[in-house]
Amino acid sequence: MKTFNLKEIKSLTYQRPEIQKGYANQTLCVDITSADISIKPVSDQMKQIFVGGKGFDLWLLWHAVSGTTQWTDPENTICIASGPMGGTPSYPGSGKSIVTSLSPLTGSVIDSNVGGYFGPYLKFSGFDALEINGQASREVVVYIDGVSETVTIFEAGDLPEDAYETSSVLTQHFGNEKPRGISVVSTGPGAKNSLMGCLNVTWYDPKRKRARYKQAGRGGLGTVFAHKGIKAVVARWDTVSMNSNNPADKETLKVVAKSYSREIVELDPKQNEMAKIGTTHLVPIMNDFDLLPTNNFKFGQHKMASLIGKDVYKDFFDPGFDGCWMGCTVACSHGVKDFVPLTGPYKGVKVFVDGPEYETIAGCGSNLGIFDPFTIVEINFYCDAYGLDTISVGTTMAFAMECFEMGLINESHTGGLNLNFGNRDAALELLHQVARGKGFGMVLGQGVRQMKKLFTSEFGVDAQILEDIGMESKGLEFSEYMTKESLAQQGGYGMALKGPQHDEAWLIFLDMVHNYMPTFEQKAEALHWFPMFRTWFGLCGLCKLPWNDIVPEDNKDTEEPAKVIKHMTWYAQYFGAVTGRNVVPEDLITISEAVYNFQRIFNLKMGFGTRAQDTLPYRAMGPVTEEEYDSRQERYDSQLTEKHGIDIEGKSTAEKVAALRKLREEQYEKLKDAVYERRGWTQNGIPTVKTVKRLNIDFPAVLEILKKNGVTS
Amino acid sequence: MITLDGEQMPWKNGMTISFLLQEIADDHPYAVVKINGRYVSRPNFDTHVIPENAEIFLIPMIAGG
Repeated sequence: MKTFNLKEIKSLTYQRPEIQKGYANQTLCVDITSADISIKPVSDQMKQIFVGGKGFDLWLLWHAVSGTTQWTDPENTICIASGPMGGTPSYPGSGKSIVTSLSPLTGSVIDSNVGGYFGPYLKFSGFDALEINGQASREVVVYIDGVSETVTIFEAGDLPEDAYETSSVLTQHFGNEKPRGISVVSTGPGAKNSLMGCLNVTWYDPKRKRARYKQAGRGGLGTVFAHKGIKAVVARWDTVSMNSNNPADKETLKVVAKSYSREIVELDPKQNEMAKIGTTHLVPIMNDFDLLPTNNFKFGQHKMASLIGKDVYKDFFDPGFDGCWMGCTVACSHGVKDFVPLTGPYKGVKVFVDGPEYETIAGCGSNLGIFDPFTIVEINFYCDAYGLDTISVGTTMAFAMECFEMGLINESHTGGLNLNFGNRDAALELLHQVARGKGFGMVLGQGVRQMKKLFTSEFGVDAQILEDIGMESKGLEFSEYMTKESLAQQGGYGMALKGPQHDEAWLIFLDMVHNYMPTFEQKAEALHWFPMFRTWFGLCGLCKLPWNDIVPEDNKDTEEPAKVIKHMTWYAQYFGAVTGRNVVPEDLITISEAVYNFQRIFNLKMGFGTRAQDTLPYRAMGPVTEEEYDSRQERYDSQLTEKHGIDIEGKSTAEKVAALRKLREEQYEKLKDAVYERRGWTQNGIPTVKTVKRLNIDFPAVLEILKKNGVTS
Repeated sequence: MITLDGEQMPWKNGMTISFLLQEIADDHPYAVVKINGRYVSRPNFDTHVIPENAEIFLIPMIAGG
């Protein structure tokens, strides 16, 4: 192992408070410019309105930045928090951390929900949230040691460049005797040299005796981290038990946790087998439904998709317990042992790869026209080690490949790389270039939005075609689902607060397969309810997978199967048992609504957050090219004639593409009208004064921003 | 015989998933059915033939991402 030096710059000894009903009741603030470490109290208002997790992050970030702050400014702050239930062992999916900052890709607020032990260890060390601002002149490591009640800033010298090694050596260094008590947050060189850096958050795997990691992937959080000069943030804690959160009602907590855990153990093997195959089961299913992004979201299906699905990866995955939090029975964080990359700095070296998950397989596989499972694992490994978001990398590379195949760019632009779909060698080379910030990789690392501008200004490419096929909204690259045939999911992506990430709403099956929401009003209701409930998980330190990826056997016979009310009831009991706040399931929606609307207004504060930003590239709504139309001609023809009553006799494909486009764009705008009304927003997509008053977020600064944007009632 | 969600029921030569769902009068819009550990999606329900002694689970999949 390489030697490295950690030189103490500043240290603060504190008295760790006892956790009370899921809260430490204080947050930690580290200014790395001045090496100042301070502790702030958590108010009752914070807990009541913002709950924790993403809610606390948003509140802290709101006060840290002004409307003109850029992501590169020292006052931009990285906030990491768990939530009141975060750190509960036994209740599945209770170890999440939420990371929030201003995004290099969007310029506004980004949040990302990640597994690993950091958030819970931070809280048990005495802090509900961590905020780091400033900019270090030399790389630093921030160490939060809850056992010795000390926070230390070290100057970091000679630590490994990538996250794979950094995670490992810091786990060993700080947790020599008890590595399970360490969680490391780090990134890698790709984050420094691109705008799509991710953060890796570790959990210790005692069976395999190694630090494993999950990613806070979206929006360039790793890039902010690297830009600040933070090499790593490390938390240390000791033993975790059901008592660690000091819950208000331990007996109820025990009962509900046991019920949920047992149900998952019983039903997961019958249903999605996530404990064995993670989310890889989605690959063949999405392919069957024409939803698996292929060749930059042109198509939703490919005859070779079975080569990158669960039947292949179940044999790749190293068997064993793969829970990213203690006692989670979903345990879906699988990995590949003794993988040997064929390229890059680890060429020929056996490594452990955490993943791949569905998003990585689709984004870095089918969407690039790559159906080689080994290449996908290699891209997965290097994205993590370099600190790059697999979704943004995949979607951006797919965009470049389509531009190349269309002749919009050529080898003179790509530095000689042949970027045809399916070129595995070129994809890997480009990834290494992104990490080094060299060649065409430097361009790719800026993301789709910046590439569109560059291709037009520097290469003279027609801006309209780039707008149509460049799969980003609000500056964030699309996650990996086809939305052409689901208007509700178009809304789920286009109206998501941070950009097109499915964690806010995944409505494709409810819309397309189950037909639960045939009308605009029903779609609008779903685009209110689901984003609100999904937000709630991020407030509490929870993973959403146990809610509706494994469902009770009698769920289909309930009044509203999509909501999985039995589980929602358990979540309400769980919330009450930990925090002492007695709630019924629908209260969880109202709680989330406050934070959701606050985040929308935060976007407004940063110069975004209106109807003009809730746009989609047409590729997300329908066929851009004649090739796409012709590939599903029967479907599109019948929609034009039967659904819309248009006579297509004698019309060319180009005319039919144009006719369908007009209809679908109109539908999307109508959907926005309906959703804004349901959410209590103006037709410009801004929460009304009445809405913010109802949700108790009518702070003077909020009302001032609304007024500035013409909203006074 | 086949086993459907843990219960035994008669098998018929050539029976498809759509046929099976009609037989049990279950009109829930299942997205996916698992047969002997393999997923079969709704677009293939009309054509996928169920083998004898198959173990079948009807998956009320609503989640995804």
